[in-house]
Amino acid sequence: MNVIGTRTLLGKEVRRFLRVPGQTVLQPLISTTLYFVVFGFTLGARQGDVEGIAYATYIVPGLVFLGIANNAFLNSSSSFFITKIQGTIVDLLVAPLGATELLIGFVAGAMVRGLLVGLLTWGAAMLFTGFHLAHLGGTALFLALSAYVFAVLGLAAGIWAEKFEQINFFPTFLMLPLTFLGGVFYSVRALPEPFRTISLMNPVVHMVEGLRAGMLGLDEGSSLGLWLLVGLAIGATALTHRLLAVGYRMKS
Amino acid sequence: MSSVLEVERVSKAYPSLTALFEVSLSIEAGEIFALLGPNGAGKTTLIGAICGLVRKSSGRIRLLGVDLDVDPVTPRRDVGLVPQEVNFDPFFTVRESLALQLGYFGRPRDDARVDELLAALSLSAKADTPTRALSGGMKRRLLIAKALVHRPKLVFLDEPTAGVDVELRRDLWAYVRRLRGEGTTVVLTTHYLEEAEELADRGGIIDKGRLLLVEEKSALLKRLGERRLHVTFQHPAPSLPPGVSGGALSEDGRTFTFVERAGTASCAGVLGALYAAGLPVADVAMTPTRLEDVLLRVLKGGSGAP
Repeated sequence: MNVIGTRTLLGKEVRRFLRVPGQTVLQPLISTTLYFVVFGFTLGARQGDVEGIAYATYIVPGLVFLGIANNAFLNSSSSFFITKIQGTIVDLLVAPLGATELLIGFVAGAMVRGLLVGLLTWGAAMLFTGFHLAHLGGTALFLALSAYVFAVLGLAAGIWAEKFEQINFFPTFLMLPLTFLGGVFYSVRALPEPFRTISLMNPVVHMVEGLRAGMLGLDEGSSLGLWLLVGLAIGATALTHRLLAVGYRMKS
Repeated sequence: MSSVLEVERVSKAYPSLTALFEVSLSIEAGEIFALLGPNGAGKTTLIGAICGLVRKSSGRIRLLGVDLDVDPVTPRRDVGLVPQEVNFDPFFTVRESLALQLGYFGRPRDDARVDELLAALSLSAKADTPTRALSGGMKRRLLIAKALVHRPKLVFLDEPTAGVDVELRRDLWAYVRRLRGEGTTVVLTTHYLEEAEELADRGGIIDKGRLLLVEEKSALLKRLGERRLHVTFQHPAPSLPPGVSGGALSEDGRTFTFVERAGTASCAGVLGALYAAGLPVADVAMTPTRLEDVLLRVLKGGSGAP
């Protein structure tokens, strides 16, 4: 294991996004906070409580999840894709960095950005709703697992993509609908059938509910969310590690 | 000397093209080896297969004593590559880029080494400049520095001076000689045959994915090269002396041209015979053997390779 090499790659990934904080941290923080202000306060005032919790407070875990998932995914996908496009992938391929080192370096860097945006979003929301934390361990686990899963998926997308258009495919056509229909802004449990059952097939629902259970103490089926995340983490890791090991779309 | 690189019957086939066909090659420790060939010959593919950029279709590669099919990662700790295509990460400065590369190779921070390379490649003044602001030549200097920062035992220079100015070319040549002095093995591909001629101990010629020959540079030049002797006389020479065979006297008898090849008389012998015959030599010019001529002859099929 090349520990120094892995640490160097992680450090580079973090410095890379911190060089453009307006784009990588501030912009997503503002847009997520705007969701909170618009949905939580402007529309939420008419909504009333959801499952006994003020609407503005209810949507905070989902928005934190949104910030983490989007930014972890975007960081690893765009960083790896740009590394390929600008040719600096050669620097990594000729170095003694195996698939494990590359995976850890890129994913850990993306997790740092995802968690930074997610925690800042949480902090911004606290200014309006106050501090809510029912289970520290459960919350930390869901935050870390969500960041990990989407960072790995982003890395797989970055490896796969050969055009800028492809790099935007997953966030636009998969993640956006899944998160907006994933119970970030409403409780899918309150939906009429068949929308309730259909919605429960969306893995994001269970991830958001899991985080909501940790942060707000709501029991909506969080254990399924946890196992979904663990399963996705294992599957995505195995796939991405394999892609890196064979040099898919990196080596001719 | 021991081999630092052994390539055994390595092939690389694409669906519509065989880029390498059963190439075998051994590189000895401490030598400078020049891999020559036209565009598309397979030079970069071969280097890519060794350095982990290309997946070979068949064959074996032992790098620094390790079979790459068994362990493709560990031997890379001691290998450096200057790729043909210029690349740079616009987020970082020159100094940061070198520090990152040092880290990727598992080496701890070493500011003294970075400073040494910056100075050796005339990059000190640009150390804190973002890489995107460098000129083309400076970016290539940075590529070279990145390949050397971890003190590799074996360095691949893939067209290192393509499109750069004379100053950098000379600087690089000086640095390559210094590397050899320190015991580093260098494998060089180049379009500038002058470069190979200047630096290499041995050379290999590759074309259409096949390694046509590998030989000591001096032996290669002697066996396949040719030297031209041009003699101008003060007044027309009526005929050539009997001791001179071969060569051509111009119609007006004022100039004589002789081509020295393997198996012919030497230029020195011919010139001695002209003087001995009392011919009025006014001027003598020699066109030395060029690797370029050798390359062209081999590529045209006159290699005489075993």
